[in-house]
Amino acid sequence: MAGKAPGALSRLIAHPSFRWGALLFGIIVLCAVFAWWLAPHDPFRNNFRTRFRAPDETFWLGTDRFGRDILSRTLHGAKVSLRIGLGVAALTALVGGTIGALAGFVKRLDGPLMRFMDALMAFPAVLLAIALAAALGPSEVNAILALSIAYAPRTARVMRAGVMVVREFPFVEGARAIGASPARVLLRHILPNAMAPLVVQQTYVFALAILAEAVLSFLGVGPPPPTPTLGGIIADGRDYIQEAPWISLVPGVAIAMTVLGLNLMGDGLRDALDPRLRTAIR
Amino acid sequence: MLRYALRRILAALPVLLLVSLMSFAIVWIVPGDVAAEMAGPTATAEELARLRERLGLNRPWHEQLVGWYWALAQGDLGESILLRQGVGAAILERLPVTLSLTFLALGIALVAGTALGVVAAVRAGKGADRAAMGAALVGFSVPDFWLGLVFVYVFAVQLAWLPTGGYVPFGQDPIGWARGMVLPAATLALAQIGLFARMTRAAMLEVLRQDYVRTARAKGMPGWVVIGKHALRNALIPVVTVAGIACGVLLGGTVVIESVFSLPGVGRLIVGAIQRRDYPVIQGGLLLTATIFVCVNLAVDLLYAWLDPRIRHGR
Repeated sequence: MAGKAPGALSRLIAHPSFRWGALLFGIIVLCAVFAWWLAPHDPFRNNFRTRFRAPDETFWLGTDRFGRDILSRTLHGAKVSLRIGLGVAALTALVGGTIGALAGFVKRLDGPLMRFMDALMAFPAVLLAIALAAALGPSEVNAILALSIAYAPRTARVMRAGVMVVREFPFVEGARAIGASPARVLLRHILPNAMAPLVVQQTYVFALAILAEAVLSFLGVGPPPPTPTLGGIIADGRDYIQEAPWISLVPGVAIAMTVLGLNLMGDGLRDALDPRLRTAIR
Repeated sequence: MLRYALRRILAALPVLLLVSLMSFAIVWIVPGDVAAEMAGPTATAEELARLRERLGLNRPWHEQLVGWYWALAQGDLGESILLRQGVGAAILERLPVTLSLTFLALGIALVAGTALGVVAAVRAGKGADRAAMGAALVGFSVPDFWLGLVFVYVFAVQLAWLPTGGYVPFGQDPIGWARGMVLPAATLALAQIGLFARMTRAAMLEVLRQDYVRTARAKGMPGWVVIGKHALRNALIPVVTVAGIACGVLLGGTVVIESVFSLPGVGRLIVGAIQRRDYPVIQGGLLLTATIFVCVNLAVDLLYAWLDPRIRHGR
């Protein structure tokens, strides 16, 4: 098989970046999944007696202007970020992957499909996502849709390049020669062997989507309040950066840890699945 | 070269056409009544009708589209609902701020990124390499707008070295301009520093293995001449190619960075328009940024082909 040599899994587990990334990301995922159990306070409850509390033994990471616990809100916000990131990674893999596979396999479709992708990519991804999210209306599903439209062209490009490489392999010619239909050649022979770059790319898309979602929420076009979002909490603390810097600081660290974990995993996957990709940049 | 240039320009035209179509079509994906959303819940029926008339929403979609292109052909991007000013004029007024921020960040990213990448490649596998690559990775994992706030907190609030935001025109006070631009440009550059460092390192490792580098070393040339003159110059070619793409990313990044540092640029104009649903400004802003991106990449492609003849003859 191309790219995925027999020892891919053991190479992956032995890869230090991947191990650290998986550890970091795993901790964040566990925190997010068990947010309702782990959060020491109700993330939605206003309490005007506890406004702007600096970190102490009751509120480990302080409170915001409504007296809400920052740690609890960050845990729940991480859950929203991960849900959106996962949604974007899945949707771009499906849509971008399909477009890229068709462009790489059907020569007649290549031109029109990729011009369309080029045009989408001409917009800065974050700007396009903000504009789309605002036009669709702020909600979690719309954030996923907007981010997916912005990031799908990158996935399509990677998939197309992968399919075009595998398409030329002798075993594909062999499959054609014994009478396999084009659809069967693409689905059974080419796609399984062109998956490695897609997996790597989608790890990075997951990371980029979490960063971009934070921008959407920060600017107020992400999931609407009272849903705690990491970008939204940063925006909440923005006007109080002098008096209560912890409000904005904490969620930013959570975002950075999540994205760093994903990027480390992506680097590990890239090296383990296809050593030839080592020098390539996402 | 001329034939190659013409071919590249012709290839960019359908992309520009699609870009202008998509910029216009953003109003079509708004669920429900665009005019009602823009006017707010307190608008009367007359106000709504007037707004629809102004935006051309009372006409069928194909007439709206023809109207959009007809106006574009005359260089007219429509009129902002909130600013009571032409969109083109509003953007042009703010473009110098955004462009200077973008290019300042690009300069910082190129210099710092290549330096970091060269150090990492020369000391490959050693402590300095690990530290540089670790820093690069952290650099593009941190949300930039958040880092901007942290910078404001540290350098403006705590140390009081720099202003928390705002903009002084270069012509009025160059030092004030520089003091205002340092933090936003550094914030914006950070992620790109990481990417440039990684690219430079990879390209340098490739080049350092080449025969001509070994020959230069064998001739007894000092190490820094070999690295600076023979290796880096060739390693920079792929780095410069992605500078065009980096330009687009940076231009997109100005949108949120300008808001964090209260810089009166195109990014803040667009964010304000998005928050208040001023669709003509959103459409014009999208179209303009994408057009700049396509043109910059075209220029980079042509420059690259001019530098390396293999490209224009190869394909």
